[in-house]
Amino acid sequence: MSLLEKFSIARDLRSGLENAGKDPTTVVFERLNSATEGVVEGRTTILAGTNNYLGLTFDPACIAAGVEAMQTQGTGTTGSRMANGSYAAHRALEAELADFFGCPNAMVFSTGYAANLGVLSALLGKDDAVLLDSDAHASLYDGCRMSGADIYRFKHNDVQSLERRIARLGDRAQRCLIVVEGMYSVLGDCAPLKEIIDIKERYGAFLLVDEAHSLGVFGERGCGVAEAQGVLDKVDFIVGTFSKSLGAMGGFCASKHDVLDLFRYVSRPFMFTASPSPAVMATTREALKQLRMRPALKESLWSNARRLYSGLQDLGFELGPEVSPVIAVRCQDRQSALAQWNQLLKAGVYVNMMLPPATPGGASFLRCSVSAAHTPEQIGTIISKFAELKRA
Amino acid sequence: MNSLKQEVGEKLAEILTSYLKNNWADSPSSNKIITPATNMVTELQLDSFQVMEFMLEVEDHYNIAIDLDSLSNIHTISDLAGVVIAHQD
Repeated sequence: MSLLEKFSIARDLRSGLENAGKDPTTVVFERLNSATEGVVEGRTTILAGTNNYLGLTFDPACIAAGVEAMQTQGTGTTGSRMANGSYAAHRALEAELADFFGCPNAMVFSTGYAANLGVLSALLGKDDAVLLDSDAHASLYDGCRMSGADIYRFKHNDVQSLERRIARLGDRAQRCLIVVEGMYSVLGDCAPLKEIIDIKERYGAFLLVDEAHSLGVFGERGCGVAEAQGVLDKVDFIVGTFSKSLGAMGGFCASKHDVLDLFRYVSRPFMFTASPSPAVMATTREALKQLRMRPALKESLWSNARRLYSGLQDLGFELGPEVSPVIAVRCQDRQSALAQWNQLLKAGVYVNMMLPPATPGGASFLRCSVSAAHTPEQIGTIISKFAELKRA
Repeated sequence: MNSLKQEVGEKLAEILTSYLKNNWADSPSSNKIITPATNMVTELQLDSFQVMEFMLEVEDHYNIAIDLDSLSNIHTISDLAGVVIAHQD
């Protein structure tokens, strides 16, 4: 096989998507009218698949902060923090994140993906072990692989499966990191963190929780699922992203362990990447401020989530196990999922297409993500367009 | 093939047959006859997710921990039997 022949698999995959209608990976938003409305192929379209949980992408204060940062600090940092220096805003955001999570250390990365790669590859090494939830995001798998540690999967959210595996590690359990997500991105279900922490403490292991989809969504302060379950202070490392609830781009790690500060010297995805731009830092800082000052955002988000979940449930759709701002609608098979996704897009509703193998149980889903910025009318329209799928 | 590997291979074929019937009943592979010589990818057309999920069943059956890297060289049930035996040691 020549170097390029292996792409025949990707070519076949693309053809399969194109044959079913529009390829979901090629959607272009020609214009954005608001956090929840855009224009696709000339049609006004409700955005119900953007993970814009708090709807802050068009927040006037966030936009003003970004514009001012760009005018006063320029368009980019043009280099990495280790080689080219940090901007005051990088340090300020790290201090604000540490304060937000109530822990002494925080570190900013250029993307959420880089945060997971950077933290896991720094923290773990050869002879260490990682116990990874089977539904964990690809960035967590990739970070674990990059580290060289031995990777063992346990069944999704199954604490017995986790305990059986950590017990098999024997003395290595103390060199073991358990890796889970707060809220899982496909089905919107949450990790049983109390039980997981009980296991981690009994075996002397460590725990990393990825709160990418739960920051700003769960917990009284919006810190995530660990806060909501009352175990925030027991988690060793919290990672997350600025690209969802905070409406920007970038990632972070917060930790009670001072060793986090040393990651700057050993984490290659941190050391060899350009640092986040001034505008990104400014909008992220302002969005974090908004998240802390406006609990009403979270209330609107959950109100919309409850309404959409119950509306789709009443229509007879099979949904994820918990009400959350991520609502996965299970489809009969891949072909019907593609057909329904296309029908929704033509009807002016954009949701996500989730196909195997990147899905739990190899099922196909239409994934909706709810926003605090969705209007009651938009939620009603989404439900009515799903109802039309039932009639098709 | 030595007798232990043959024995483990036959047991794994039995576990996989049952696993596919219980979890992937709609898959064309769920009705195929599986033997130690069966290739999981080319013959059963299992994707990476299905292989990893099957591995969780195998780990629990033999009370062993198989790291993900060990999976990269497994193609047939017999290959997997070799890995299981190595981890039991």
